[in-house]
Amino acid sequence: MKNVLVYAEHRQGATRKVTFELATQARTLADSLGGKACAVVVGSGAGAIAQQLAPYPLDAIYCNEDSQVDAFLLDPVVDYLEAAASLVGASLILIPNTLSGRDIAGRLMVKLRAGIVADVVDFEIAGESVVCVSPKLGGAITTRCALRPGEFGIATVRPNAFQAAASGGTAKIEQLPTARRSYAAAIDNDVEEGTGELALEEAPVVVAGGRGLGGPEPFETLLKPLARALGGAVGASRAAADAGWVPYSLQIGQTGKTVTPNLYIAVGISGAIQHKVGMRSSGAIVAINKDGAAPIGEFSDLLVVGDAFRIVPELTNLIEKAKGNAT
Amino acid sequence: MKIVVTMKLVPDPNAEKKIDPQTKRLVRTGVETVLNPYDEYALEAGLQLKERVGGDTRVTIFSMAPDALKETLRRALAMGADDAAVLSDPALEGSDVWATAYAMAHALRRLEFDLLIVGGLTDDSSTGAVPGALAEHLGLPCITNARKIELADRTLTIERETDVGYQTVRAPLPALLTTALTFGEPRYASLKGIMGAKKKAIASIGLAELSLDSAVGSDGSKTEIESFAPPAARGQGKTVEAPDAAAGASAIFDFLRERKFV
Ligand SMILES: Cc1cc2nc3c(=O)[nH]c(=O)nc-3n(C[C@H](O)[C@H](O)[C@H](O)COP(=O)(O)OP(=O)(O)OC[C@H]3O[C@@H](n4cnc5c(N)ncnc54)[C@H](O)[C@@H]3O)c2cc1C
Repeated sequence: MKNVLVYAEHRQGATRKVTFELATQARTLADSLGGKACAVVVGSGAGAIAQQLAPYPLDAIYCNEDSQVDAFLLDPVVDYLEAAASLVGASLILIPNTLSGRDIAGRLMVKLRAGIVADVVDFEIAGESVVCVSPKLGGAITTRCALRPGEFGIATVRPNAFQAAASGGTAKIEQLPTARRSYAAAIDNDVEEGTGELALEEAPVVVAGGRGLGGPEPFETLLKPLARALGGAVGASRAAADAGWVPYSLQIGQTGKTVTPNLYIAVGISGAIQHKVGMRSSGAIVAINKDGAAPIGEFSDLLVVGDAFRIVPELTNLIEKAKGNAT
Repeated sequence: MKIVVTMKLVPDPNAEKKIDPQTKRLVRTGVETVLNPYDEYALEAGLQLKERVGGDTRVTIFSMAPDALKETLRRALAMGADDAAVLSDPALEGSDVWATAYAMAHALRRLEFDLLIVGGLTDDSSTGAVPGALAEHLGLPCITNARKIELADRTLTIERETDVGYQTVRAPLPALLTTALTFGEPRYASLKGIMGAKKKAIASIGLAELSLDSAVGSDGSKTEIESFAPPAARGQGKTVEAPDAAAGASAIFDFLRERKFV
């Protein structure tokens, strides 16, 4: 295993930040392994993404604008990745640890007879040996797991685990041959809910609300302005998603998203274990809760015991003032 | 129609999880074994389909688990599954995702089915890679995160969650589905179900019957855990009582300043 191959995930031409994080990290890993760093980008808008990737330190970007990628559920992506992997040879394949990233990784594992490590946050390289560092059991332990040298290895990598830096880009953009035309699972309809928002897993700041907010309105009137002031995104507990106050795509926790922002603010969330496992690795954790004994206090850097409805607007105001946007 | 639902047996999700430093595996002694909660949603989906399709539709549970734990599957039979098949063999111990999916796929091939329903994640080690791997081994269309399932003329129409919304996907049978938790809460077993489950069959499948051409267990795995450790501890947090909202807001503001978030 010498080379590194990145799957550049995007949605019809809209990139994810993690793609650039992986493109940057691929260089570091390839240099330690003594090989090349490459990326694969396919589907409508792939050409534009390849251009955006060009400033990053890659050796090659394999690209195909095939619109069939958007017509079938992941099968074409898996085929293109397999094709690129066989061009590059035994390599470490970096896939973002997202909903579709996990689906792709499992299927590619079989196609390439590869080892796989999930939710990787760091790598250790010695010679050709690759060890992946990843939290397991909801962050209760951190494991170091080795891939077999000489074979394909797949790592699904947690967003926000690495820094993106656009420098030293000399990549050639190469056309991948077009894959098969038809597959069994056809996408009839693709609907975005909550468009234009910052992707939750990639946000540097997450302001999350729970049952304590009592309804959908406070997510709009309290949390959104605070998130906006801090340049972050809004998330939620399962109780809030179950109540229908926010879409499930905002749910954080064991059965929702895992987030690791630099700052996590939990508003009216008790801190159940299933919520905790989705956010405990955040940089700083602040909780606002009217109950001083809420479990969230046990893993927060700061717990403010009080009424969220009165504290949050004051806080947003203080931040806006400091930024010179006094109201 | 024949539906197979895969179920993993996991240590009680509410129990404290520990790893044996010698074997590097999860300590299961003293911890109750239960059905992986995510797989109960898969079973619910299978049972609802059975009710809708009717006729001679059967729901079979498949599990790869130590033989000693197989009675845990009675709960799934009590919920309404018709029978169960368990792949157990000491040689499977220590299998990683690759080896697990490989062995499961070979056993599943022997249970002929029209639809394979898999839970979205496992509670004890979630790589989320097994469903995709099974679909690839078995050559099935793979539709994950289903929250609504329609079936007509042997064609599935699935509403599935994505991380920005949802998609409608169409695929012919045979196929593999995974369920999202929004599919609907799993049912409880009725008293009649519990009584009836006692008579239902739990078949055992041994590795020898599968004539595998590669190893499983640790030897057949492509990854090896070298070490593990608890994560770096978070320092003791601070609690501020804020009966006065302004004081609460400025406590947070000062913290954000100190940490350079503003
Ligand atoms: C299999 C399974 C999977 C699960 N997966 C997830 C998951 O992925 N994510 C998840 O979040 N949960 C998950 N849960 C649910 C989890 O167990 C909790 O029920 C849930 O997290 C509780 O949400 P909450 O903290 O918003 O609500 P609650 O626990 O009801 O807490 C509400 C909090 O708001 C506070 N509060 C009330 N009013 C105010 C106010 N005016 N100002 C300030 N504070 C106030 C209260 O003191 C309380 O602490 C799962 C459960 C199971 C069984």
